[in-house]
Amino acid sequence: MEGRPEEDSDLFTRAQRGNTAAYEEIVHRYQQVAFRTAYMITGSAAEAEEAAQDGFVKAFRALDRFRSGANPRPWLLRIVANEARNRVRSAQRRQGLELRLVEGFRPGDAAPSPETAAVAKEDSARLLRLVNGLSDEDRLVVTSRYFLELSSEETAAALGIPEGTVKSRLSRALARLKATYGEASRA
Amino acid sequence: MPELEQELIALGRQLDWPATPAIGARVRSRITAPVVRHALWYQSRWAMAAAALLIALTALAVYTPTREAIAGWVNVHVFFQRVRVLPSPSPLPSGPIGQRLGLGQPTTLAQAQSQLAWTITLPSTLGRPDEVYLQLPPTGAAQGEVTLVYTKRPGIPVASQTGVAVLVTEARGKTNTDFFGKMLGSDATIEAVTVAGHQGYWVAGSPHVFIFLDANGNFRDETMRLATNTLILDEGGTIVRIEGNLTKEQAVAIATSLG
Repeated sequence: MEGRPEEDSDLFTRAQRGNTAAYEEIVHRYQQVAFRTAYMITGSAAEAEEAAQDGFVKAFRALDRFRSGANPRPWLLRIVANEARNRVRSAQRRQGLELRLVEGFRPGDAAPSPETAAVAKEDSARLLRLVNGLSDEDRLVVTSRYFLELSSEETAAALGIPEGTVKSRLSRALARLKATYGEASRA
Repeated sequence: MPELEQELIALGRQLDWPATPAIGARVRSRITAPVVRHALWYQSRWAMAAAALLIALTALAVYTPTREAIAGWVNVHVFFQRVRVLPSPSPLPSGPIGQRLGLGQPTTLAQAQSQLAWTITLPSTLGRPDEVYLQLPPTGAAQGEVTLVYTKRPGIPVASQTGVAVLVTEARGKTNTDFFGKMLGSDATIEAVTVAGHQGYWVAGSPHVFIFLDANGNFRDETMRLATNTLILDEGGTIVRIEGNLTKEQAVAIATSLG
């Protein structure tokens, strides 16, 4: 389609009237953040895919409860994340999730010297190890807020906890990271 | 933003996430497909629990108040789904009505009757049908189904969904078999009716989706189409379905003249 992409609110209005093509476009727009959120919770790409799919189907059937004009991200993420948690519960175990850096990782936009890149890569790898080593509770808040770049509201929706809890957990996790990352840097 | 948080965001952008699967098309096909499997699952539980009640009722989204009403009726051999959004059936193919609506093979009343173990009932107010179609297992219901076509009748407008004035479909089967499926959107109304002592129901309002079921109870998706107002009733074990752009009174009058 040419021209400006259709606004989310228009897509939701059309989807609420039963337009499944509009809903497919909504899925297309939100599938990445939904899938990654589910992946963080389940630790499995296959489970995350199922959870995202089921979540979007459920969200479609609940569209009449979506308030027109509201931000759809927290609403969709809450539904998908619930599906993901249900899958973890029914499997009675969660696969260990360890996030990794992409191959050939190079921080920053400008091409650094090989030495700078090597040092930066080492720092990032160390920070990632520290995040991976946090408790599940703290790690989920950190990864949601910074790796998925969700807002506090979206993080709260995705993790099914109050926004105040997001903030307190985040503050605790950051303090731990700062202490250990700082220590590691000084070592 | 503090440095550590900036570093975390930069780190997040360089993570090796698994590839995001494209799920849009699959989600769309799931939300448009009739969930007949679920209907049959509910049906079997229902049937066991309610001593072989012949109605299965399921809902994709919510049970509606019609649940109790429908649950009280027996022998209509229909499963219902109340859906929030009706699927859009494919456009009907062109050609004779039997082909367009998947009614089976064209035949005559006498020929159809000779192949059935039960008696076809005819609504006398409509006169003789203009066309007759017969569908036998495995594509038809377990003991076959007959469709009588009334192309034009005084006082009855031709329905855009079928291209004819009235369609009367009849089927008879074993206990616990369904012949038809109906998916009702939120605007369609359904009410219990009694015609000359026979139980039935009247579906009206906005078009609903009508599905033929084969002898195995599976829906034939090629026959899924929009239907207009419909009266379905159990005429002594034969399920008669009268569809047309009819008022309830007209439909009841036709049903009363069955014999």
